[in-house]
Amino acid sequence: MRTLTSICPGCSIGCGLYLLESEGGERRHGLKVAHRTVAPMNEGKLCKFGMQLPAYYDKEALHNSVDGKEVNHEEAIEAARERLSSMNPEEIAFIALPGTITNEELVSFTSLASEFGCENLSFGFERFFRDIPEEAFYVLEHGLPFSDVEAASKIILFFVDPFVHYPLLARRILKAKRNGARIIEVSFTKNERGLADETIVVAPHEFESLREKKELFEDSLIIGELTPYTNPHLVSLMLWLQASTSSRLFLLKPFLNVTGALLISGGGKGAEKRKDLFEIFDRIDRGKIKALYLLETDPVSVLLGGEEVKKTLSKLDVLIEQNVFRTPLSEIATITLGSEPFYKKKGTIVNIEGRVLDLGGESANGLAILERMGKGRSYEDVHEEVKKRLGLGSSEPSEFEIAVTRTERKFGVAFLVEFIDSFLSLLKMGNDEERGEEGYSLWYKTNPFFWAGVRDKQFVEISPAAMRTLGLFSGDEIELVQGDLKERLGFKISDVPDDLIVSEDKLAIQPSDGHWAELHRRELLTSVALRRAKRSSTAEE
Amino acid sequence: MKSKYYLAWATDDEIRKRGANGGFVTATLVSALETGFIDLAVVIEKKSVYEGIPILTSDPEVVKDSSGSLHGVPLNLAKYVLESAPDKRIGLPVKPCDARGIIELAKRQQINLNNVYLIGLNCGGTLHPLQMRAMAAECFGLDPDSVLREEITDGKLFLVHEAEGTEKEAGMKIDELERQGRGRRDACKACDTKIPVMADLACGNWGVPQGEQKTFVEVLTEKGAAILDNALSNGAIEIENASEQGIELRKKIEASMQKLAARWNAELDVLKDLSPSERFAFYKAELQRCIHCGACKAVCPVCACEADAKCLEQHDETDSYAISMYNLLRLLHLMDSCIHCGRCEDVCPVDIPLTLIQRRFSERMQRHLDYTPGMEVTQTPPLNETKLRWRAEGE
Repeated sequence: MRTLTSICPGCSIGCGLYLLESEGGERRHGLKVAHRTVAPMNEGKLCKFGMQLPAYYDKEALHNSVDGKEVNHEEAIEAARERLSSMNPEEIAFIALPGTITNEELVSFTSLASEFGCENLSFGFERFFRDIPEEAFYVLEHGLPFSDVEAASKIILFFVDPFVHYPLLARRILKAKRNGARIIEVSFTKNERGLADETIVVAPHEFESLREKKELFEDSLIIGELTPYTNPHLVSLMLWLQASTSSRLFLLKPFLNVTGALLISGGGKGAEKRKDLFEIFDRIDRGKIKALYLLETDPVSVLLGGEEVKKTLSKLDVLIEQNVFRTPLSEIATITLGSEPFYKKKGTIVNIEGRVLDLGGESANGLAILERMGKGRSYEDVHEEVKKRLGLGSSEPSEFEIAVTRTERKFGVAFLVEFIDSFLSLLKMGNDEERGEEGYSLWYKTNPFFWAGVRDKQFVEISPAAMRTLGLFSGDEIELVQGDLKERLGFKISDVPDDLIVSEDKLAIQPSDGHWAELHRRELLTSVALRRAKRSSTAEE
Repeated sequence: MKSKYYLAWATDDEIRKRGANGGFVTATLVSALETGFIDLAVVIEKKSVYEGIPILTSDPEVVKDSSGSLHGVPLNLAKYVLESAPDKRIGLPVKPCDARGIIELAKRQQINLNNVYLIGLNCGGTLHPLQMRAMAAECFGLDPDSVLREEITDGKLFLVHEAEGTEKEAGMKIDELERQGRGRRDACKACDTKIPVMADLACGNWGVPQGEQKTFVEVLTEKGAAILDNALSNGAIEIENASEQGIELRKKIEASMQKLAARWNAELDVLKDLSPSERFAFYKAELQRCIHCGACKAVCPVCACEADAKCLEQHDETDSYAISMYNLLRLLHLMDSCIHCGRCEDVCPVDIPLTLIQRRFSERMQRHLDYTPGMEVTQTPPLNETKLRWRAEGE
């Protein structure tokens, strides 16, 4: 049995754990998770995702191939370099949603993109930097140490349910509560489990009321979330609340190394100049981008409307997929480059607290693929570059230190007001005109399973009134309908508003119609019809 | 067999120096591996004073490297024994809770106890590693990473650290640390099983004359006598009879620690003066936080249902109950078998005080059933009796 010290790639907390790798001749085989009590991020605790990590890693490996034909490593790398070199820079794009990507790989990936003169590089969060003052970039780039959460006297959970979104944060909030903190949640619905002392339920069209409740946010730590689907106007509203009150804002992020990606790629200034994830998809859809390099990113499984994404990506002339496991895109990829699983990687990441964590593995194959195509540097050279870009100096950071710290700055809000006003008027309009057939709205409550797509039971939460309206009984199924898209699934009765449906799973339902670039800029919630599913003929018999 | 008491120590200078109390336990395990008396040993690979990983090894050198105390590494090794092939002979050093877990698993036919040699270690308790790091910095004024090793003697925690190129020692009374809200894990504070009388050997420094680097050894079973004889015949250890004075001193230390445990048990039971409805409100408030990660079950040293587990089967994410069936079934299931080791609480991501809750549910039931789990190999677990009978009858 081999014990590997590792990190959970489920979310941006980066929980420390052990993976036990059994060898032949013993009673049990495969990977097993064990708790690592000394890990300062999680103190030996893991959520359901961490406990189920072996299932996450139990997938078919991706091999090296060119045009569907299996080739050796060098041939695949050479083909990738050649195909990219034959394109104009504006026809190429690079995308990496940094869930299992090391800082070292990110340095190589950004270098590679610039070597091809390509500005279409996305880590999924670029657009958020465009509509906010530069002085506020640090809030989006940096997280906060959990010790700050524990020490807060008032915590506002801003449309975040920590038990679902980030369970390992929930216990820090509980500690803050034991230390005397007041916990207030601002949400569409009262969260379960009784964490909050007070709930401010906000209807989607009543967002402006939050600006009138400035005193609520004074002296607080506002905890919100930033995902590729977060409405940029909502981000602006959160920043406005921070700037207008004596509060601080802590934005959680879904992918493990988002902080590393933002800092390594030049932070907000770099992000501001680059193309956004959805803009890249839009340009692919319109035939302007013809080649795409995906680094350990499977947009079909990660993003909403996966089939639509696949249809768009199939328009590419060249799709290069560097990954560990086969994905729904592997079939249509022009070139596939097999890499090593995250738990075997040598390298570092930056967690949401700013800890630079060593992954503990020994393999740098993924980095070597990128470097063979690019500058050809050694792991050590790239690692030094990482330290430089993160501003760490010469010594190796310890997991017990917060190496990447955040400095609070003042920023103006005048510019944001107009931006937020337009958002609020859109929400009002949305409420009047864009309701689903039966007046229901869908809210995605994200969590590690949502992004990794490894949950086995699909259901949505509905109100008791919705259950009565539809005449549902326990064990029945419902149908969510959006245009031609349909999802048939189970339900759970929760204390949600009568017209709201909450899902922790990714469904076929998309946030908005229209082009990728417009995706989710207008809506916070998605309009759907809710119907009782017809019983199947087998069940009726 | 009647207990026998010895003082014992390793003959190898290096082992004597590196192992605690004269290196008896390390020398005995190394000898058992070298002579083929056992096939494998479960030991804790030391990464630092605060971190260790249980490993299964056949290499005597790995066992030598693992020697020394690790009070800041709270583990229960029962499930690690399961990792070995059932036909392999295994030896391992065990705290009382390790031994109790292994024995309960053996009763549930998960482990073949005939093949397992339990070298028991007297235990005053373990500490949470991150708490220990904080204590090193805040109570001892040390850089946590400068601590080379630790030892608990005469109720004091000693930290040996490196300062200006030399080794220095700093000590603090555990009682004093615990009055400051530091010190041992709650489960250890309330645990009254200090000498592992259910193991094959019980070893420690209680009863050893002051200043002597020897281990006080109680031989408890035929297997214990056999592994000791093996080390003796191989010339790995030397022994002498323990004095009556030493035996008495050991008993006195145990009694005094048990008294302290009883005091802690009462102090930690925050529910004892509450009304039934207040207690129910407490259980509801604590258990409704459960996120059903299954960690408590995964680490539980007495959970033996594996894939057949009803607690997992009955849990449904679409249920809207404040206390889920998962928790209710676990409470029911562990009534007779919970050994109160606190591992479930160690790993609970939402900090449910599971040690307290499980103790409140199971302690009274265990008294009622006149059953103490993990202590007597021959005593059948009452709530598991029917299942075992069915299994024996091939149903």
